[in-house]
Amino acid sequence: MSTTLITPVLTKGIGELNLREIAVYREQGGYEQLRRAVVELSPKDVADICNGSNLRGRGGAGFPTGRKWSFLPKDAKTRYMVCNCDEAEPGTFKDHMLLEETPHQIIEGILIGAYAIGCDHAYIYIRGEFKRGYEIMRDAVQQARDAGFLGENIFGSGKKLEFTIHRGAGAYICGEETGLLNSLEGKRGEPRLKPPFPAIKGLYGEPTVVNNVETLAYLPYIMRNGPEWFAKVGPERSPGYKVVSISGHVVKPGNYEVPLGTTIRQLIYDCAGGLRPGRTFMGVQPGGGSSACLFEEHLDVSYDFDSVTKAGSMLGSGAMVVFDDTTDFVKAAYTLIRFFSHESCGQCTPCREGGHWIQKTLERILAGGGVDSDVDVIKSAAHQLTGLNLCALGDSIEPFLASVITRYEDQFRAYIKRTPAPAVGAAS
Amino acid sequence: MSAAVPQTDPASHAELVTLSIDGVEVRVPKGTLLVEAAKTIHTDIPVYCYHEKLGPAGLCRICLVEIDGMPKLQIACNTVVADGMKVHTRNPRVDDGRRAILEFFLLNHPLDCPICDKGGECDLQDYAMAWGSGSSRMIDPKTSKPKAVDLGPTIVLDEERCIVCQRCVRFDQIITREESLRTEDRAVQTIIATATGKPYVSDFTGNVTELCPVGALTSKTYRFRSRPWDNHRTTTSCTQCSVGCRMHVDERGNTVLRTMSVPEDDALSDSWLCDRGRYNVGFVNDERRLTMPLLKQDGAWVQIDWADALDLWAEKIKAALAAGGPERIGAIGGGRLLNEEALLAAHLHRALGVENLDHRIGTQTLVHHGSFANHVDLENANTIITLGRPPSQLAPVLDLRIRKAVSRNGARLISAGDYAADSFVPETHVTTPAGLKDAIGANPGRVAMIWDGVFFEGGPELTAAMHDLPAATRVDRYVLPETPNGRGAEALGMIPRGAGLGTGAMFAAARDGKLDVLSILGANPVLRYPDRALAEDGLRATPFVVVTDLFLTETAEFANLVLPVCSAFEKSGTTTDLAGDVLPVVGSVRPPDGVLADGDLLVELAERLGVTLPMPDELEAKVRELVKTPPADGAVPAYVRATAAAPGGALRVIADAAIFTGGGTLAFDTAIRELHARPHARINPATARALALADGDPVNVAGDNGTTLYDLVVRVDERVAEGAVALLDGVVRAPLNALGRAPAVRLEKVPVTA
Ligand SMILES: Cc1cc2nc3c(=O)[nH]c(=O)nc-3n(C[C@H](O)[C@H](O)[C@H](O)COP(=O)(O)O)c2cc1C
Ligand code: SF4
Ligand code: SF4
Ligand code: SF4
Ligand code: FES
Repeated sequence: MSTTLITPVLTKGIGELNLREIAVYREQGGYEQLRRAVVELSPKDVADICNGSNLRGRGGAGFPTGRKWSFLPKDAKTRYMVCNCDEAEPGTFKDHMLLEETPHQIIEGILIGAYAIGCDHAYIYIRGEFKRGYEIMRDAVQQARDAGFLGENIFGSGKKLEFTIHRGAGAYICGEETGLLNSLEGKRGEPRLKPPFPAIKGLYGEPTVVNNVETLAYLPYIMRNGPEWFAKVGPERSPGYKVVSISGHVVKPGNYEVPLGTTIRQLIYDCAGGLRPGRTFMGVQPGGGSSACLFEEHLDVSYDFDSVTKAGSMLGSGAMVVFDDTTDFVKAAYTLIRFFSHESCGQCTPCREGGHWIQKTLERILAGGGVDSDVDVIKSAAHQLTGLNLCALGDSIEPFLASVITRYEDQFRAYIKRTPAPAVGAAS
Repeated sequence: MSAAVPQTDPASHAELVTLSIDGVEVRVPKGTLLVEAAKTIHTDIPVYCYHEKLGPAGLCRICLVEIDGMPKLQIACNTVVADGMKVHTRNPRVDDGRRAILEFFLLNHPLDCPICDKGGECDLQDYAMAWGSGSSRMIDPKTSKPKAVDLGPTIVLDEERCIVCQRCVRFDQIITREESLRTEDRAVQTIIATATGKPYVSDFTGNVTELCPVGALTSKTYRFRSRPWDNHRTTTSCTQCSVGCRMHVDERGNTVLRTMSVPEDDALSDSWLCDRGRYNVGFVNDERRLTMPLLKQDGAWVQIDWADALDLWAEKIKAALAAGGPERIGAIGGGRLLNEEALLAAHLHRALGVENLDHRIGTQTLVHHGSFANHVDLENANTIITLGRPPSQLAPVLDLRIRKAVSRNGARLISAGDYAADSFVPETHVTTPAGLKDAIGANPGRVAMIWDGVFFEGGPELTAAMHDLPAATRVDRYVLPETPNGRGAEALGMIPRGAGLGTGAMFAAARDGKLDVLSILGANPVLRYPDRALAEDGLRATPFVVVTDLFLTETAEFANLVLPVCSAFEKSGTTTDLAGDVLPVVGSVRPPDGVLADGDLLVELAERLGVTLPMPDELEAKVRELVKTPPADGAVPAYVRATAAAPGGALRVIADAAIFTGGGTLAFDTAIRELHARPHARINPATARALALADGDPVNVAGDNGTTLYDLVVRVDERVAEGAVALLDGVVRAPLNALGRAPAVRLEKVPVTA
């Protein structure tokens, strides 16, 4: 196994050091960049450094982080920084690990980001199921507070930086940034109509930035090593490092931190140990459950935001799910559709009704009641609901389904012709 | 017109942007939503979740349009126009988007059209006909859900028909601010529910049935009763209170089936109706309506014909004039009559020299106060001060304006004295002069003062700060009449002048044998006059009492002659609203055979008495002139409500108002029996503690005149002053006025029997 590809930055020390202890983290240089930002630099200096790194959001949309910050109105008195740790995208488990292993790095990143946007109250929204991670974060925040790194008068600078941990209740839709803000305010976790965007009207109606855990966690390192250190790695418009969660039919599933620009093949075969002996590669979802499946011809695609998009999918949250030839793609598609249909907040028509329609049809196909027209109807329903929704969840229904139904239509047809009916079951 | 651009910031009105919609150039103010811009060229973009008064929500996605330069179809309801924008509302791509959305909506929608109340006026039907595909591609069974969920006393929800546009929920959040409706569950299971599983109780529930674009929310009073194409529609003004909301009346077979708001009525109703105005129509067809004049003979009612009845009335008046002169005659009422009728009543009596005229039967002192500020002015006030009983219970839809002013325009709400405004928006309640001064502060901006027109002891001192407002402060004054047309009746002459007696003085004079004829025109003083015993004594002692009413009310029971009259749905004319505007009242159904309007009776009576009344066109001009004439100073005698502390541990009484009280149209409307207000006793927590009473406890209220009201429910409310109890006025089964004027009372817990 080749480990040369792996370049630990956020993942450095995991498994070796107890980075949950503030002392250990500080021995690695932890909180030094926060101190430097607060004591030596202006918010604008920090924002400039972030901008110079070309860091793009690791939460799913890949939006340039510095640009996102720049949308905040200059004259706003109150601004909020909210860290998104709701991680529920199927196949994604990087934030979970960072939360449990390196909480201080996340706190430092959040506070640097908060300082850069001129916010004195930051929040982290933690997925409800991450109970252990929540407890670890809670203890870490207490340590940081005791050390004077957050709260009133941080680093004796006279500046205030409050920090609040909020535990979600386990809804995928609360990862969508405006659903998250509603939930954080104690309302139903439903995405908000945009515009206005959070940068203008976010948490409690004030200008707000929502950034992913991993995005913010890179900030201390970008500060320490300088923006060019990050910007020069990988493709120019999609640079830096990335923690990739690899799962599915690979020998060594896990989180691998690599430079963007590594190929999909390298990730699967060199990092994750390749497929099990004797198995054939059938496809990979490169960016979580919302992304379209890529196939053999895409194995040499560079794993970066723009290249994966060009190949017809997306890098998304950076979670690869690998499928070998034991995969029942009808069941795989059904499992994902059931997930999206179940997690739909129900606000808007195409997502609410369309997802359910496809789910019911796939259920019937799996139960042996499929009819010939089903394949076309599913494709058409998925296609016509896309692009019409209030939030991106609705638009996540089509990509995987359409890609595998096109590639492996025979598997769907086989179910439709098959008698007697196989039982409806979970996916591979 | 103004409705076309409601989402626009008024400040930006000057700036126009030019865009093209389907090739037509459109110029609209900056900030206008595309869906509204399209209306200016009569292009209708379909909407479900969007509503002019609720704004965009972006949920239904039916309002798709194509905009050049944007890859995806856009929703017109949340797109703000921009210069040079090129919009297509009809092309194959847009049509296909609409078809797709409709297909999604219809997947699980039940095939209820043939039995659905909304059939024929349903946006889902209409759009499906216009853009839908005619058949469903879904071959699986539809999802089934409960079809008759009882949301509360007025509304039934069919969950299968609901398209989750959330208009109902948003109405309850944005407009009423009561937040008792919400969505529950998620995904395809999403349903509308009440916030805590409690019944949906509000004074404005009926509006959601109109906002609902489909037949999911239905009114219990109208459910399964008719189809829209069988209804005949008339447009009138609601005469249940002094707001005078514009209102459609749908009638079929001479039965009023339902009333509907008028969406264009921005000036008065803001397109809403309260539930009293909307639902209290069943009385019109109640079988207890009187249809023949009734004469009391030896204690029993005898039907007589109209000619005899009118002759008798005229004779009695003539006899009284001959025997003792006009001082021995009086008339009470007018606040529930049309303007024309009130004017005729006043004119007729004054022509005979009668000055004992009064429309006031409650505690109200003054209605007409010289101010003509309107509802929209109220919406634009910066500081709103309420004095007296809450506007929500006297003029419900006006209260929605207060909520709007506070929640959307940032106005401050201050309530002064015994009553909180209780308006579902933050308020500052003050009880002292200094408190009021503080609350008003140095920069009140535009001030609106809303008063129930009742003078009370300490009132002038309490409101002293009103005289200290910064120079040039604009103050709009609103007095809320106790009766729907109180303002008209007062302006048109049903108020004592010179040596004339007011209602209370008339009863006292009658009791003392000084009145021979008392005519009560559409009024129920036995239930509403603050001292019931005095009213009853006065009526008993008057040799000839005539009462005109629809029903045999508490007051009619004391009459010698009862004349059956028309409801406001059965006659036409005008009424005067609280702002001093003359509003049209248009009859929608024929009265029961043998029933006349008060106006007709007065004309007949005048003829028999040889009095010449103004001709109809003169009448109209006179109404308009008088309504616009501010009252002469000092024209209005005052009765003052005493607020002195009650002696020895007894509680003084604060009179509460509620919209669902009264003995006439409400008591005789069985369809909405569930809405009748339950009499309460509101007390301060300290009082509750001292008396060992808890919220919800049943109590009896023993008055110092020996009368007891039974089985009231305790409401613990910190806004009630200590040493006081607030009791509901106008409840038939526990009439507050039976306790007498300014009573001191004791609360007695009703022992719970096993
Ligand atoms: C249905 C849905 C779920 C999402 N879940 C997450 C999540 O769990 N974590 C996350 O960081 N972003 C999630 N996002 C993306 C966020 O909306 C947002 O783009 C992100 O938090 C921004 O952070 P970034 O700029 O650092 O990427 C989700 C988006 C959608 C539409
Ligand atoms: S797309 Fe789905 S999850 Fe997103 S707002 Fe609409 S219904 Fe809710
Ligand atoms: S009940 Fe009617 S108004 Fe309410 S969400 Fe459903 S369809 Fe809309
Ligand atoms: S507010 Fe008054 S006028 Fe309007 S509907 Fe209610 S009762 Fe009628
Ligand atoms: S009307 Fe535009 S989304 Fe519903």
